Amino acid sequence: MALTALVNRNPTTVTAAALQASAPATKAPLPAKGAENGATAEFSIPDTTLAINSDKPMSQRVVHYEIDAKYDAATHTVDATEVLTYHNLTGQALDHFPFHLYQNAFQPNATFVREAKIAGNRDTSYDKWEAKEYGSETIKNIEVVGQGDMAQGDLTGQLQYIAPDDGNKDDKTVVDLHMPKPIAPGAYVQFKIAFQTKFPETQARSGWKRDFVLGGQWFPKVGVWWNGAWNCHQYHAMTEFFADFGVYDVKLTVPQYEVVGASGVMVDEKNNPDNTKTVTYHGDDIHDFAWTASPRYKVRESVYQSQMGPIKLRFLMQPAHWSQAERHEKITTETLDHFEKWYGPYPYKTLTVVDPEPDSAAGGMEYPTFITGDSSWFMPAGMYVPELVVEHEFGHQYWYGMVATNEFEDAWMDEGINSYTEVKVLDSILGKNTSIMNEAGVTMGEREEQRLSYTSSADRDPIAQKAYDYYSYGSYGGITYGKTASVLVTLEGIIGEDTMAKAMHVYFMKYRFTHPGKEDFLKTIEEVSGKNLRWYFDQAIYGSQVMDYEVSSVDSFPVNWYEEKKDKKDAKKDAKDAKDDTVYQSYVSLHRKEDFVMPVEVEIKFDNGEKLREQWDGKSRWVRFSYQKKAKVVSAELDPDHKVQIDRNDFNNSFVVEANPRPTNKLSTYWLFATQWVSQALAWWAV
Amino acid sequence: MSEKKGLLSSGWGMAIHNKRYIFWFWLLNLTLAEFGTAAFRQSAHAILDHSMLADRLLHGFDLAVMIGLFARPEFGSMAAMSTVAGYFAFLFLLFTALFLPGVFQGYASTYRLPREDFFRACGRNLWRFIRLMIVAGIVMGIFAVVLFGISGALVKKAGESTNEVLPFEVHMAGLAVIFLVMTVLRIWFDLAEADIVLNDQRAVRKSIGAGFRHTFRAFWRLLTSYVVTTVFAAVILVGGLWIWMRLVGPEHWFDAFIVSQIILILLLIPRFWQRGIAVSYWQQNMVVPVVTYPSPFLDPKPVVAVVAAPPSPAPEAV
Repeated sequence: MALTALVNRNPTTVTAAALQASAPATKAPLPAKGAENGATAEFSIPDTTLAINSDKPMSQRVVHYEIDAKYDAATHTVDATEVLTYHNLTGQALDHFPFHLYQNAFQPNATFVREAKIAGNRDTSYDKWEAKEYGSETIKNIEVVGQGDMAQGDLTGQLQYIAPDDGNKDDKTVVDLHMPKPIAPGAYVQFKIAFQTKFPETQARSGWKRDFVLGGQWFPKVGVWWNGAWNCHQYHAMTEFFADFGVYDVKLTVPQYEVVGASGVMVDEKNNPDNTKTVTYHGDDIHDFAWTASPRYKVRESVYQSQMGPIKLRFLMQPAHWSQAERHEKITTETLDHFEKWYGPYPYKTLTVVDPEPDSAAGGMEYPTFITGDSSWFMPAGMYVPELVVEHEFGHQYWYGMVATNEFEDAWMDEGINSYTEVKVLDSILGKNTSIMNEAGVTMGEREEQRLSYTSSADRDPIAQKAYDYYSYGSYGGITYGKTASVLVTLEGIIGEDTMAKAMHVYFMKYRFTHPGKEDFLKTIEEVSGKNLRWYFDQAIYGSQVMDYEVSSVDSFPVNWYEEKKDKKDAKKDAKDAKDDTVYQSYVSLHRKEDFVMPVEVEIKFDNGEKLREQWDGKSRWVRFSYQKKAKVVSAELDPDHKVQIDRNDFNNSFVVEANPRPTNKLSTYWLFATQWVSQALAWWAV
Repeated sequence: MSEKKGLLSSGWGMAIHNKRYIFWFWLLNLTLAEFGTAAFRQSAHAILDHSMLADRLLHGFDLAVMIGLFARPEFGSMAAMSTVAGYFAFLFLLFTALFLPGVFQGYASTYRLPREDFFRACGRNLWRFIRLMIVAGIVMGIFAVVLFGISGALVKKAGESTNEVLPFEVHMAGLAVIFLVMTVLRIWFDLAEADIVLNDQRAVRKSIGAGFRHTFRAFWRLLTSYVVTTVFAAVILVGGLWIWMRLVGPEHWFDAFIVSQIILILLLIPRFWQRGIAVSYWQQNMVVPVVTYPSPFLDPKPVVAVVAAPPSPAPEAV
């Protein structure tokens, strides 16, 4: 029924009048044989700019989604119609189109759940399965306009579930449609789809919780033609998404009591007689569309003046977090400042920051112009969880949103690069060693957190690996986020902070609104730095080598150690007299314990205040530096400027000859107190 | 009201007049904990003493460095170290059970209890206390499981609410109720302990029965006294930690040691205060009446006698 209405509707009426005034759709010239090859001459992708601070499109627009969706809050179900116009820019005829049906991942035998049970998952254990955790996405009807020789264009029967990654016949997250007629290069094709999506209780940052809903990955989405083939992976426990840029016009019909937020700009809102309302959104140069609704959001709005124009910031806060709205706004604007200054402009007119339902699995997610934070009603000022999450998710507007890498295959390029810029931005805003926590004398910095995340699973997997091929969710997180961030911080030490900053800027400006691969990023760094960095990338990006250098020993003894003293008294006297003249032979030994080879610097300090710096290429397993001086070595420190962030063990990077027991005494005091307190508490109640 | 004050003040008096017990228990706990934390100390010394990175633990407290330390394989397993510490905590519990009869005896005495009498009371009541501990463990364990179960279910139910703070509030309310119930049970078994020692009661079940009856006979008086002492303990803990954080510099580990031990020794006071309250209550209300032979020529009213042990000829104090 919904499809009938859709077929009879003029697609251009989906967008508001304002949208049309902004930039009328243009029709690209079609190849002469377009109609013969299944394409229809009337279609086009709009070149609207309503949602961006630019007078012309910023991406090569491949898709135009027009969705009319009605959300049933009682059943957490969306019934919708979707008109997808696809522009074949692949350079070859396309005879089939794969579609993602992501919500089908939440079925007991789906690949997502199978993998999650083995490898772990971010927020669900899948130890048991309840009905409320099921999700589904069903294409009720699909038609290809202009290919009407099969029952009026209805190709629903032609749909075929495929599992290109693992062959799991029970996985229904990808469906393939074979076309009666191929779509010629340069031609357009329009799909008309009626679908129903049933959201699960929140899983993987999508679904409902209580009266809240986050509509993410909720509509049939066509794959990406990439590197000469369709790229449409199944939904895995450790993967995110990949899609083409285009234009989105989405009508959402929800109960009137709901407060709604979504990607893009809102162009219309009207109440319906049945106590629902329809909110219309438009998005330009984005590759996904997400929305949220809750009756309890409290809204804070402000305007940020970006390099390209004003951005409307909208914060949808939980009532119990209302006092944190200012914190959310502050970190958002400060992050925007840094990203615009360091990497490039934010071109969109809106940014919606959602503070999701507590205890839901919806926190910490990115969609174009729409992110979710994560907080709690109890959030001391020195605990920077909201700041950390909002900064990270905003960073994805650049590393995912605009530089739209393949999250299935190159997860490190969005999560990892974003974690690196997160380190840089949070260091700058909140302090290098205090950017996660600075409360009651306890501190923790983001860069150390990333390093710890990496070292927890340092030797499992390389960075350059498909996200679904990681050993476990812990390894995926540790390598994709933590190792990439640590590797790039270390790279900064190799090529220089300014050069790295310039490389990041060049990379963003060159590849925004495209789908770059790993070599595009790595070559950009090499080009900007003018250095061949293959020795580093081969180990750090493509390899799983682990780095652990140590100062293995420090020794100093008098060169005349063999001269015997007559007696102890004389020896002491002589030693006192000759104190300044004694010549010492000193040795400092360094050891490369693991297989990551990298040049390092070591700083050696003597007891006369002298400091020396030595270089070691690290190629041999160990090296020993020797000195003959009128001074003894007091300490040796590898990487004295703390440029290397990938050393697995930082504790053995330095050696101080004179032991300092005070740090241990301090820690032991805490541990002793805790032990005694537990003893007393136990005795209090038990006897 | 005056009776309540009487219990609190007399209990306080017993605890303070016999403060040497508090000192010895603190020393015992410290000694056992030193053993319990030795492995931790040894591992930390091996990694930190010659490393410059350790400075970040000394000057301030960098959580990342501490997590990194615990993650080092050569440091050893924190779970294993916690288990060892737990064993010594359990040992402290056993020693407490061993020496507590002497404390009760000392509290009931109107003089400084000689060492021999202290240990005699400990030895005479050891197995009685172990039996009592087992009964108390079963009873308190059952209550704890049931109450925590109910509390957990209520918290889960509250989690369905759209009021985010409600689960926390329910959790806190649940803990308050559990605390009160467990305090009542503690009163019951404290009275039983006092009765076992001071009445020289071999039949533990009789003391348990007496403790139970008297707990509810003077319910509010005893409960209020125990709650007041517990609040006192909470104030000590919170105030002590606040002073520690505010006044002790991050690199002054020895000052931290002193402050932490003062907190711990002060935290022992309220529990000994509670035991003083139990002894005081026993003396006032639970003492066994001793009936003398009736004489037709004398007043036939029964005479109440204090059943505490007589003074020793060799008053060498503990």
